Amino acid sequence: MSLLRPLLVRSLTMVGVFFVVLLMLVLTLGLTGFSDRILSATIGEQLRAERTALAETIRDPDEMEKVLEKRREELEIFYGLSTPWYYRLPRTALRVLTLDLGEARTLRSFDGSNRVFDIVTERVPNSMLLLTTSLIITATIGIIAGAYLATRQGSWLDRFVSGFAAVSFAVPTWWIGILLILILSIQLRILPSGGMYSTPPPTQPLPRFFDLVAHALLPVITLVLVSFGPSIYSIRTITLNIAQEDHVKIARAKGLPESRVRLRHILRVAAPPIVTGLMFGLAGSLSGSILVETVFNWQGMGRLYYDALAGTPDENVIVALTFIFTLMYVVIRIVLEALYVFLDPRVRYTD
Amino acid sequence: MNMGSALRELLRSGPGFGGASLMGLLLVTALYVLLAFPLDFGESQWSNPVIWVDNPKAVPPAWTNPLRQDARPLHRVFEGAEPHTVQTARSGPVHSWRFPFTYASSHPPTFLAVTLADVNYAERPPLVLISLKRPDGKQLRIYRHAVRGPREDENGPFLRYAETPLRVQLSTDEATVTAAQNFLAEEFDLRLDGAQIGGRVDRILFGLPAGSADDAFTPLTGEYEIIIQAALREEGDSVGKVRFVVGGGVFGLMGTDSLGRDLARGLLFGLPVALFIGVIAAFMSTAIGTSLGIASGYLGGRADIAIQRFSDIVANVPVLPLLIFMLFIIGPSLWMIIVILVAFGWPGLTIQVRSMVLHMRTNQLIEAIQSLGASRRRVMFRHILPQITPYVLAQLIFAAPSAILAEAGLSFLGLGDPSIPTWGQILETGFRTGGIYVGYWWWIVPPGLCIVLTALTFMLLALGIEPIVNPRLRQPAS
Repeated sequence: MSLLRPLLVRSLTMVGVFFVVLLMLVLTLGLTGFSDRILSATIGEQLRAERTALAETIRDPDEMEKVLEKRREELEIFYGLSTPWYYRLPRTALRVLTLDLGEARTLRSFDGSNRVFDIVTERVPNSMLLLTTSLIITATIGIIAGAYLATRQGSWLDRFVSGFAAVSFAVPTWWIGILLILILSIQLRILPSGGMYSTPPPTQPLPRFFDLVAHALLPVITLVLVSFGPSIYSIRTITLNIAQEDHVKIARAKGLPESRVRLRHILRVAAPPIVTGLMFGLAGSLSGSILVETVFNWQGMGRLYYDALAGTPDENVIVALTFIFTLMYVVIRIVLEALYVFLDPRVRYTD
Repeated sequence: MNMGSALRELLRSGPGFGGASLMGLLLVTALYVLLAFPLDFGESQWSNPVIWVDNPKAVPPAWTNPLRQDARPLHRVFEGAEPHTVQTARSGPVHSWRFPFTYASSHPPTFLAVTLADVNYAERPPLVLISLKRPDGKQLRIYRHAVRGPREDENGPFLRYAETPLRVQLSTDEATVTAAQNFLAEEFDLRLDGAQIGGRVDRILFGLPAGSADDAFTPLTGEYEIIIQAALREEGDSVGKVRFVVGGGVFGLMGTDSLGRDLARGLLFGLPVALFIGVIAAFMSTAIGTSLGIASGYLGGRADIAIQRFSDIVANVPVLPLLIFMLFIIGPSLWMIIVILVAFGWPGLTIQVRSMVLHMRTNQLIEAIQSLGASRRRVMFRHILPQITPYVLAQLIFAAPSAILAEAGLSFLGLGDPSIPTWGQILETGFRTGGIYVGYWWWIVPPGLCIVLTALTFMLLALGIEPIVNPRLRQPAS
């Protein structure tokens, strides 16, 4: 019970986030008249198609117009264009909530489906692969190096890392990706410049896996390169603060071995704020990965955004992507929140 | 602490000094750009291909030449208004312009182009002849143009090429190809057909047949001269402007993109834009964040709970997907980007300011002022705000880089404001047109460096200011 309540409050915030985003999507689509335009375009297309079909049976142009006009009215009712957007769009939002995402105009899934659901969902694992790999690597480096640096406070390495962390905030992740492509794949030709597999992709599972790793290397390096500095720095600071607390001094005074003090008395206590840091880092890495996927032509959701925006934009895909992105973010956040509540005993009593 | 001593302390710290001097440099440059560039630079120049037509396409900066083994040709533009010599022939006056130059590169020019403007004649149209004199003493006519005569219902004097000057790309012009063909046949007894010459006119005009293979040419360096002659029919006829371009393999300080745009100009114009985005977005989100934070902390009760819940939610919205979505629907505009960045940028500060105000509310000064009967508004703005101002100022500077980076990222996705060139957009064109895969580094690296430098300047300033305004961080005097 005591665990459940704080978890519930935190999850509710995230559900609130989700609904705010959904509300903004609906309002933007409705208030700008965008939704109406899309619908009338769809109806127009359908009518054109029907006109050519009808032309075989109806010769009289006047009668043709009459039939088409009637058909248009039918279609407007069918698509909901006859009702104002604030009645229609909430229903659309509900439909989207059940993952009924409609159909794409030009984009296709890898096996040719034009359902937005297929197009988007087949990309989710690819994005997750990139995101989680780099998040885990960043966190690991951060914890190990951060805990180490906390014992070397004020050394040149410590100062270097704080400077490096500051610089990292000023560097666009995607530009680092471009630089790495320019140096490592165009000049030195060590690593592939983009995509997920070579063409043609290897068929054997093992070579296929290594091919994927080779392609993932640059994007992952990019994401890690930009985020590991701040990660080390924040974990170092958290650890440092806790290392100065009384209970650590007592543990040392009791003569406990240093390794035990560090693990049980410092890192264990530092775990909850470190997780918080990761949670806040998540939003950043999510945005970072949208752009990094674009740069490396990584077939994830970020690249899908780029493809949906380029040329003739695919509205349904963009709406669905924004929705799924938020959903994904909210779900990961709730998982992390649960982890946080589980890790930090204090939350159970205070909240 | 007063302003003067705070400033001295800022300049004493390493990051503070670095940040302040970089910021000074950026501001001076931005000011220069604002004075020297038209405000509608984006529409009137950057996205106007006519401006850049005489520039070489996608060539590196000129300063890369000394780093190469074989120097690429420099870009040369010859312009003349008043004729250099005026002679009188039987047909009428002949105005001529002579442009001598030394050609030292072992590469041929990337293109040759001529432009005529403001041709004026009373009755019969003039004839324009262009010749090239080579270091080996040979001279050939590379172009001949008869200005269009009067239309039936037209009365003199006639003005031609006034609004749209006549521009001829000689490298690909059929007449020049024929001229090169005849030149080779007469001087070197080398007969090539049009297909063999096409696309290599510059190589032929600025080279010698190698002898080994029919279509091989070795570059010919030395003194060249471009001679433009206008055979006019009457006194008073004139050609207002002539312009001859020998396309270079390198260009300017920063090179050009695939449309021939001078990247140095685009990068320069990007600076005030980036500063503007950073400062405006940071200022507005800080203003909102601070006032909501003060209200939340000082008023307490239901207002506090409402503001806290709301900012909790807004703080956790993943901004980039939403930004992409809204810009896509509403249409890319710089203001829209700023508005959305502000709309989602304030909650962090609200939460921090609230906790500071909560702390302050219980101190004796505020309590004393309240008991004197000061209104809540007066307490909030006259007594609480001044105390947190230094901290807020540091946060304001801290917020600027993220706005600059966000705009750059959006531009990179193709959602930038098309009427205002930014660094992100330059990068985007470089990436989208595949410039990155053919190694056009001068198109890709500098805009990114500009973004990093500007963002870093704000970061350094914030780092320098933070210990001054945040007493907890102040180093104990040892």
